[in-house]
Amino acid sequence: MPSTPNSASDPAPDNAGVSDTVLSVRGLTTAFNRRGHFHAAVRHVGFDLQRNETLCLVGESGCGKSVTALSLMRLLPGRRQCRVSGSAWFDGQDLLALSEPAMTRLRGARLSMIFQEPMTSLNPVLPIGAQVGEPLVFHRGLSRQEAEREALRLLDLVKIPDAARRLRQFPHQFSGGMRQRVMIAMALACRPDILFADEPTTALDVTIQAQVLALLNDLRQERNLSLVLITHDLGVVASVADRVAVMYAGEIVEQAPADRLFARPSHPYTEALLRSIPRSDRDVGELRAISGQVPPIHRMPAGCRYAPRCPVAEAACLDATPALAPLPGDPAHAVRCRVRNPAAASEGRIGHA
Amino acid sequence: MFRYTLHRLLAAVPTLLAVLTVIFLIIRVVPGDPAIAILGDNASQQVIDAFRDRLGLNDPLWVQYGRFLAEIAQGDLGSSMVSGRTVWQEVGAVLPYTIDLTAASILIGILLGIPLGVLAAVHRNGWIDYVTRLVSLLGLSFPAFFTAILLILVFSIELRWFPVISRADMADPADRLYNLVLPALSLGLIMTAYVTRAARSSMLEVLGEDYVRTARAKGVPPRVVVLHHALRNALIPIVTVIGLYLGLLIGNSVLTEIVFNRPGLGKLIVTSLNQRDYAMLQGLMVVYACFIVVVNLLTDLTYGLLDPRVKHQ
Repeated sequence: MPSTPNSASDPAPDNAGVSDTVLSVRGLTTAFNRRGHFHAAVRHVGFDLQRNETLCLVGESGCGKSVTALSLMRLLPGRRQCRVSGSAWFDGQDLLALSEPAMTRLRGARLSMIFQEPMTSLNPVLPIGAQVGEPLVFHRGLSRQEAEREALRLLDLVKIPDAARRLRQFPHQFSGGMRQRVMIAMALACRPDILFADEPTTALDVTIQAQVLALLNDLRQERNLSLVLITHDLGVVASVADRVAVMYAGEIVEQAPADRLFARPSHPYTEALLRSIPRSDRDVGELRAISGQVPPIHRMPAGCRYAPRCPVAEAACLDATPALAPLPGDPAHAVRCRVRNPAAASEGRIGHA
Repeated sequence: MFRYTLHRLLAAVPTLLAVLTVIFLIIRVVPGDPAIAILGDNASQQVIDAFRDRLGLNDPLWVQYGRFLAEIAQGDLGSSMVSGRTVWQEVGAVLPYTIDLTAASILIGILLGIPLGVLAAVHRNGWIDYVTRLVSLLGLSFPAFFTAILLILVFSIELRWFPVISRADMADPADRLYNLVLPALSLGLIMTAYVTRAARSSMLEVLGEDYVRTARAKGVPPRVVVLHHALRNALIPIVTVIGLYLGLLIGNSVLTEIVFNRPGLGKLIVTSLNQRDYAMLQGLMVVYACFIVVVNLLTDLTYGLLDPRVKHQ
């Protein structure tokens, strides 16, 4: 079982690169420049990603899920607008400390990413075949012709019918679902170790969503891939996740194996999220929206970030930042709530690290 | 692509017709009787009437309009009322000068403007960006004749590298180029200013697009991201600007040709205007109109080459 990170100052874990942990993130903090001041959109995020595992990052819009993935892929703007700190160990190297050329060699080769908007994520003036084969040109040294032949196999892999003809077409001739398949083919071209999928099905029709999700899941198992799936859709989480990290206002508030999270949601925010999805199989009583909104990054509450919206918050919640700590008796299930998890209260100081 | 080309060609016909109609009306609306202008204020009424009759100016407007269109359809643009030579002869004599000047300034604009704009966009808010923005702002603010006079002062009078009056022997390629340098530079720098600004803003927009992030996410080196993925998309609005400012270039070329005392269409039009040579003026305006329509057509066809979405429509 993965150790649950609870401190920003943790050294690189000993098991990185030895066991089946492919990515080990510690104390990831990403701050954006807003009128000359840097405000953290993601704070002290830590998780371990195992080989051939699906980790879901869940949370409502603006909670820092995408920023987490973009920080790890190093796709955010430069230091003047955005600062990333912490560590992310992958194959014996810290992604956050790598030089830009070294990172370019990893991107698309061993770390890949697909995005929420298949309609705008493909280059409108380049043929599909050239776009899908491109990672092979830069990472494997294939010629453009060889890459295009390989692209044909990849389009077959993601089940695009009539791939030979499709290869020469342009993005505007593809539907949204087909474009997302193209994105997946492109991301998997060099057989990466990790795929970050940022809301890959959100922009698609419901029926297409299920197909694309099933495809991703099949390919993950087939290719021994680790998948970081970002979503706000708990239905998606329930169907594919091995492990879940629930994010709120830039922090992970609860992290657990999927079955245990659904069986025993422990953070009040997770509970509220689960209560807010309609279910046809069981009567969960009245559907409840979570009142209030995620605080903007430049006006974060001092103590627990969820406290202002939390039904169980106590006076102490507003003062000290709770830690993400394992539940007593369940080391794989971590909860950042002093009310629900006594262990979280005792490490309140980490918020000031 | 063939169907697209045909489409654009057909679409140019009504445009041309509309422009010709406007030209015809403008010439007849402007004050001043051409007959008096040519014959002088002292001519007797009889002579004037006879002259108007010969030019067909006494016919009803629609008859004149029909004759005007029929003549143009046959390629007859009329003759100068001053020199008696046909418009085609007059235009033909200066056209090589104009083509040289226009082509050279556009080339300068593209070769300098696009790289500068791309550099400024990639290093947004860096020193390259500030310098580029300042220089292009100066280029836009200086009137064409001012730049031309500055160039003459420095390169012709002080340094004596180039002639003050650029009247080339068109048969001699070296002399032709030698006389072209300063006028082309003076117009080309203005063109560069426009192209740089267009290239910068277009690149900035494209660099923020999702597909540029996709290219980076798959490990495409930064140079290739900019030149292969971004620039091709950014070129579409840049081509529009170049097409638009080609018209402006013609206006500016009038000033440049006067300052350098260089033959050309612009100078021809000013001379005709001063002489109230209305037949010549009408012919020249038709030539210009055709020129602009052709430029627009070329712009449209370039879109088709750059953007697959256009030609599949």
